[in-house]
Amino acid sequence: MSQYIIRRLLQMIPTLIGISIIVFAISQLVPGDYITATQNPNLTAERIAQLRALYGLDLPPVQQYFVWAKNMLVGDLGQSLQHQMPVTKVINTYVWNSFIIAFFSFVFSWIIAAFVGVFSAQFQYSFFDKVVTLLVFLLMSLPSFFIGLLAIKYFALDMKLLPTGGMTTAGLNATGWAYIKDVGLHMFMPVVVMTTLSVGGLTRYFRTGMLEVIRQDYIRTARAKGLKERTVIFKHAFRNALLPAITLLGFELPGLFGGAMILERVFNWPGIGQIYLASLNLRDYPLMLGFTMFLAVLTLLGNLISDVLYGVADPRIRLK
Amino acid sequence: MLVTLMAFGSILAACGGEEAASTDTTTPTETATDTTTPDETATEETGTDSESAIGLTEAEDIATGNDTALARTDSAIIGTVAPQGIFNPLFHQTSYDFYVDYLIFPSLTKVKTDGTYENDLADDIKISDDNKTYTFHIRDDANYSDGTPVKASDYLFTMKLYMDASYDGQSDPLSWNVVGADEYNKGTATDISGIKVIDDKTVEVTVSDYDAMTQVNLGGIAPLSEAYYGANYKQGEIASVKEFNTKPMGAGPYKLTKYAAGQEVDFEANENYYDGAPKIPKLIYKVTTDTTNLAMLQNGESDLDNITVTEDNVEELKAAGFLDVNILKNNGYGYVAMNNKNPMFADVKVRQALTYGLNRAEVVEAAYGPYAEVINIPQSDVSWAYTSENIDPYDYDIEKAKALLDEAGWVEGSDGIREKDGKKFEVNFSATAENPVVDALIPIMTQNYEELGVKLIVETLDFNAIMEKKDRGDYDMFFAAWGLTPDPDSTVYITDGAQNNSGYSNPKVDELYKEGKKELDLEKRKAIYAEAYQLINADAPEILMYQRTNMLGINGRLDGWDVSPYKDFPLSLHQVEIAQ
Repeated sequence: MSQYIIRRLLQMIPTLIGISIIVFAISQLVPGDYITATQNPNLTAERIAQLRALYGLDLPPVQQYFVWAKNMLVGDLGQSLQHQMPVTKVINTYVWNSFIIAFFSFVFSWIIAAFVGVFSAQFQYSFFDKVVTLLVFLLMSLPSFFIGLLAIKYFALDMKLLPTGGMTTAGLNATGWAYIKDVGLHMFMPVVVMTTLSVGGLTRYFRTGMLEVIRQDYIRTARAKGLKERTVIFKHAFRNALLPAITLLGFELPGLFGGAMILERVFNWPGIGQIYLASLNLRDYPLMLGFTMFLAVLTLLGNLISDVLYGVADPRIRLK
Repeated sequence: MLVTLMAFGSILAACGGEEAASTDTTTPTETATDTTTPDETATEETGTDSESAIGLTEAEDIATGNDTALARTDSAIIGTVAPQGIFNPLFHQTSYDFYVDYLIFPSLTKVKTDGTYENDLADDIKISDDNKTYTFHIRDDANYSDGTPVKASDYLFTMKLYMDASYDGQSDPLSWNVVGADEYNKGTATDISGIKVIDDKTVEVTVSDYDAMTQVNLGGIAPLSEAYYGANYKQGEIASVKEFNTKPMGAGPYKLTKYAAGQEVDFEANENYYDGAPKIPKLIYKVTTDTTNLAMLQNGESDLDNITVTEDNVEELKAAGFLDVNILKNNGYGYVAMNNKNPMFADVKVRQALTYGLNRAEVVEAAYGPYAEVINIPQSDVSWAYTSENIDPYDYDIEKAKALLDEAGWVEGSDGIREKDGKKFEVNFSATAENPVVDALIPIMTQNYEELGVKLIVETLDFNAIMEKKDRGDYDMFFAAWGLTPDPDSTVYITDGAQNNSGYSNPKVDELYKEGKKELDLEKRKAIYAEAYQLINADAPEILMYQRTNMLGINGRLDGWDVSPYKDFPLSLHQVEIAQ
């Protein structure tokens, strides 16, 4: 097993090099750089040339790539041009805010999807199943900014139950439990909306996985033995139905840190998603490239983790 | 959403300038560090002339429905777009970082409501007869918030940071022509020979060449404490100074107590402030979005915010009853650029025809309602340089436009499209997506020009892609907006100027701009710029569209503001009181 993991980790190196070349090439092909994107009117042609030299934008693209790649090897992702601080520091400032809401909505959507999926499989084509299917497709097709704004209007502005946005109450300066409670209130709406949006698709996965398992011979055998239906479903069927979900689990890893661009904007959540989007618009390439590479590493790691977990969970699969 | 995100794009460092076209709806334009000319005859506040829609509407009754805000008896909450956390006047780039820095870092001179300057941290400024030596005396009672005095050597230290080779902020300090700056920049000298510290509070600056901007540039410096910022600074390595970006310390009315990135910035009054301790003890800048900032003002969650000017928003704010609504002219203007180097637009008659032939009033009305006005010279009508004398208003006149095109040799072909030398009059318009002006402009322009016999072909592109096409000279028309500085000096209309987007060239205009920059007498400058604007107006190098407005919604419980298009609200925050 450890040999397998080491081999997979080594394989990641050429993959990452490939990814870095591609994203860097794309950034070079896109028109404009930080200076054209900000369009500061006060800059004379000389100052523009000085700034390009200070930012390293005057070097030929190949050389720029190697400077960037070399720095990355020692963990230096460069300086963000808009934030005037190291990219790693920018990511560290914002990514955990994104992680909090992503993590909670991940936990809730998986729990809800698992139960709903199982029940609608167990009672396939029942009224419950039909209602769930309808709801699932409804939720999947809702645009996030729309239900986000709707939630703000009803719960924050009209009913005044929840704060309109942000992560903490301005000027509260709470610590300890009061702080946790404050953040909890603020994250309620974004988490609910994110969960609502992601639970739909997941439910379908669980339902399909469960339906497949329920038709297996060993389930019939279990029922024939006279086991309780609950035991059959949760002990024998559910665990097997979870196997395909492990693959999905791996894909969730970059999602936990990637930030939700639109929802963070709507709920004014200080996450990395909106920062990343701004870096694209402003051509803040060090930040944009650095964060893209960060996500690429997480994606590859997520794949590895799901493969390993698959081997652990399913004895039929042997990793070599 | 996109509009606001792209607002980051406008982020104009030291003053206005071109904003991404799409940012034109949301962004306040920076004006502070750039101006000149004291002793301007103040024009009365905006909006009294033609538009009753523009100007200040006071709150009617601050007591009704305002409980949430009234409960904050010792603090005020200011809504803003998120600053980037660059709280240092050398490096800040967005208006929102400026909002923070105004409160912490006073400069030697500060802008007045009319766009001219007065002393702030300096109480005396002497200028030598040849205009090349400037002696600043810093107020004796000026102390940093840590209690140490603001010294003349701090001014020198700050100038060294500006002139440092590794300085990568947005200012262009070498253009100030300070004697010895180049040597310090190249590392051949360890001091700036043109800056002499006379005594603790007096500093003398010598420049090799002066113009109308010199005093503004030198007086716009906010001295940083050398003891605080300079601990690890070595010539050529400015990085250690940036580490204090989120822990600013200055001599201003407020000191920063907490910064939570993307959430809020908290301030406390600085009791040592030389103009007297501010009347609001605690100040909070809270990050808001344009989807909820209006609602937050209405329910008292915030006391001030920039609200997008639309008729609905104005109505809503006024309906609250306890809000002051202040609609101010924006320092900037929108325009349709024409590629003057393209043979099609090289003829002035063609450019005039395209201006006469476009119903600009209709476009502006569709995009901004009563909250923007058609302009005919590239200057704000609140500026001292503004003139309406001998300016052709280019009122919509399709017959005149047709006649001009006929004169220019473009005659109608069999398909209704004009031709000249076998070439059809087809114009490619590069448009940015999701821009309210472009959305209003395109249908009207297409229809107007069709009537004129000109075919408009619209392509939608990313703003950066349009700018790149512009740099290559590979375009016919695009829409964009410029921000304006209080000073009329600019490179937009001079031959090969850094901001000359349209390729316009008129030697007489070049000369006038050069003369205007060198002249220090305001009355003479007025005449020079008036002449330049008349020439530009006649040449029609681009189709000037509109000057729009910005709107501040302010809770009526806060009194004592002194704001204008040139003076942002944070500059008077220290004198604002909470009404009980």
